[in-house]
Amino acid sequence: MREQVKNLKYIFQPKSVAIIGASGTPTKVGAVVLRNLVEGKFSGRIYPINPKYKTLARFKCYPSVLDVKGKIDCVIIAVPAPVVPKVLEQCGKKKIKGVVVLSGGFSEVGNVELEKQLKRIADKYKMGLIGPNCLGVLNPYKRVDSIFLPMYKLKRPRPGGISFVTQSGATGTCVVDLAAQFGVGVSKFISYGNGTVIDENDLLEFLENDKKTEQILLYLEGTKNGSRLLETMKKVNRKKPIVVLKAGRSERASKAAFSHTGNLAGNYLAYEAAFRQAGVVVAYSLDELFEFVKIFKQALPKGKRIGVVTNGGGLGVLTADVIEEKHLALAEFSEKTKKELKKIIPTYANAENPLDIIADADSALYRKALDIMERAAEVDIIIVIVLFQAPAVDERILNILIELSDKKKKPVAVIAVGGEYTEGHRKILESYGVPTYSSPSDAVKAVKKLVDYAGWADLKR
Amino acid sequence: MTIIDDFKFLKKHGFAPLPYALARSEKEVVEAGKRIGYPLVLKVVSPEIIHKTDVGGVIIGIKNRKALRAAYNEIMENTRGKKVDGVLVQKKARKGIELIIGGKKDEQFGHLVVIGLGGIYVEVFRDISARICPISREDVKAMIMELKSHPIIMGTRGRRAIHIKSLEDLVLRICRFMERENVSEMDLNPVIFNENGYDIIDVRFRRAGK
Repeated sequence: MREQVKNLKYIFQPKSVAIIGASGTPTKVGAVVLRNLVEGKFSGRIYPINPKYKTLARFKCYPSVLDVKGKIDCVIIAVPAPVVPKVLEQCGKKKIKGVVVLSGGFSEVGNVELEKQLKRIADKYKMGLIGPNCLGVLNPYKRVDSIFLPMYKLKRPRPGGISFVTQSGATGTCVVDLAAQFGVGVSKFISYGNGTVIDENDLLEFLENDKKTEQILLYLEGTKNGSRLLETMKKVNRKKPIVVLKAGRSERASKAAFSHTGNLAGNYLAYEAAFRQAGVVVAYSLDELFEFVKIFKQALPKGKRIGVVTNGGGLGVLTADVIEEKHLALAEFSEKTKKELKKIIPTYANAENPLDIIADADSALYRKALDIMERAAEVDIIIVIVLFQAPAVDERILNILIELSDKKKKPVAVIAVGGEYTEGHRKILESYGVPTYSSPSDAVKAVKKLVDYAGWADLKR
Repeated sequence: MTIIDDFKFLKKHGFAPLPYALARSEKEVVEAGKRIGYPLVLKVVSPEIIHKTDVGGVIIGIKNRKALRAAYNEIMENTRGKKVDGVLVQKKARKGIELIIGGKKDEQFGHLVVIGLGGIYVEVFRDISARICPISREDVKAMIMELKSHPIIMGTRGRRAIHIKSLEDLVLRICRFMERENVSEMDLNPVIFNENGYDIIDVRFRRAGK
């Protein structure tokens, strides 16, 4: 990693943060960022910078970073674009190594030279610089928050193992909001905007070495260096699974006309090829991004044979259909497994896969059936369908599922279809890291991604 | 660039398209036919005609000299008024599955190699898979498996699988060739594959700077 990438640590674990363009006008970006740091209980020192104020939010306000006596690890810049080079130069002189430039008005509106100037300064002082034209970053572990959206409008996610890298601030906003809503734990959130100094490749490499990051979500609109992206993804994906959502797919329809008369393939085809080569998981919507990522907390499967346990026959069949459609396999229960199952299931139930333990099954029966699935050598993946609506199923099932998932011996996915009551249980399972889905197709689609990834990882071993 | 230039370029780099010759007169056509051997296919060569079949510029299944003369005259008749460089006399391909193999240089990723179900199905099914060069044999295997039509390639309903290794070899060679010669766009379409190997029937190039 080059020094500027290493210096990103000053952005994510700063002991002190300065906000250039901090303001007393509540709707200004610099005001929101200051308020968020305070309300978010950032524990380090905070230095508002703005020559117009003596104090802001009970903090002493400084005319420039050069007027601050103490060391500054990270600076958040929220001043108009033409002023950025000047204040950045001051940051350089102050030996600030971490910079987030929220300001827009650079190459995205044609001000290419201004952006180059910014890069020259950042390179000269070896700054790790995120942006410009970005939403900011989050590190929930350290309560670092430079997102310029108010907290009452945009909830912040709890600490966890997933890191988000996004080119678009708007998509980033949705992702942060949804992550908070779904209870998805986040390690780092990074909106990198124009990626002038630090681009998606740098961030992937940084996260590869970030101890708190287990999986990476990447929202990409385009890249300036495809070959490097391919190599970086290949390398990082081996260590930490990457789920990517690429915008601009519709090109595929228009330009992918792979014909004798001309245009061979649209640009999306190249991205798609690169994603396949890198073995990364491709999502086609924000929903899928979340559906896919949660299953990657599970152990990697050794094969694609699925054992399905259900207290509702119909859902078992629906699940079996999708398993077949996705070219996965229903495990063929061995004689040994069948014998064990027959001992525990009612006489009127069949020891077949999907295993229907019947609507009157209680949590204890689930546990016994799941124990057998865990031991069965012919089962690589366990899908548990729970009709929470059934009378005999109670809260104890939650512990059983959480324990099963925590063992990380075989990957587990839970399907729970239903309304408010079911939804409540689904959320509890989710919050304990059990991948829970509201439909058989969502669950099996995610399992398929995990199987594909495991196959790729195995191939590259 | 005419088809003849494209074939020459391909041959120069070690690929073996079906035996062919350019003929500019009835006499040349007959000589070429004798040299290549029947059955033959005749195709008009013209910078003005893109869809040769649509104008009656292609005649297939020519079994002897008499039919060859007739075919030549028929093509000349059908294309009257157009700028015609001559006709391509080509050996008739073996029976098999039509595939397309090609690629292009992508601005961001470099060379991209693509395989797919070829011939008239290209437009209909868009059944293609792609990789960024360079690639390994494992990559080609994965590309084949990604095609929806891979059961056809692997043999289905009494039809034998195509010669997979020669497909893999060809794709790997195309990849290296495109990178080495900096080809901006090309496709072999169709290449007919069967259990014994393949015949390259047609080729298009767009080279960098041209």
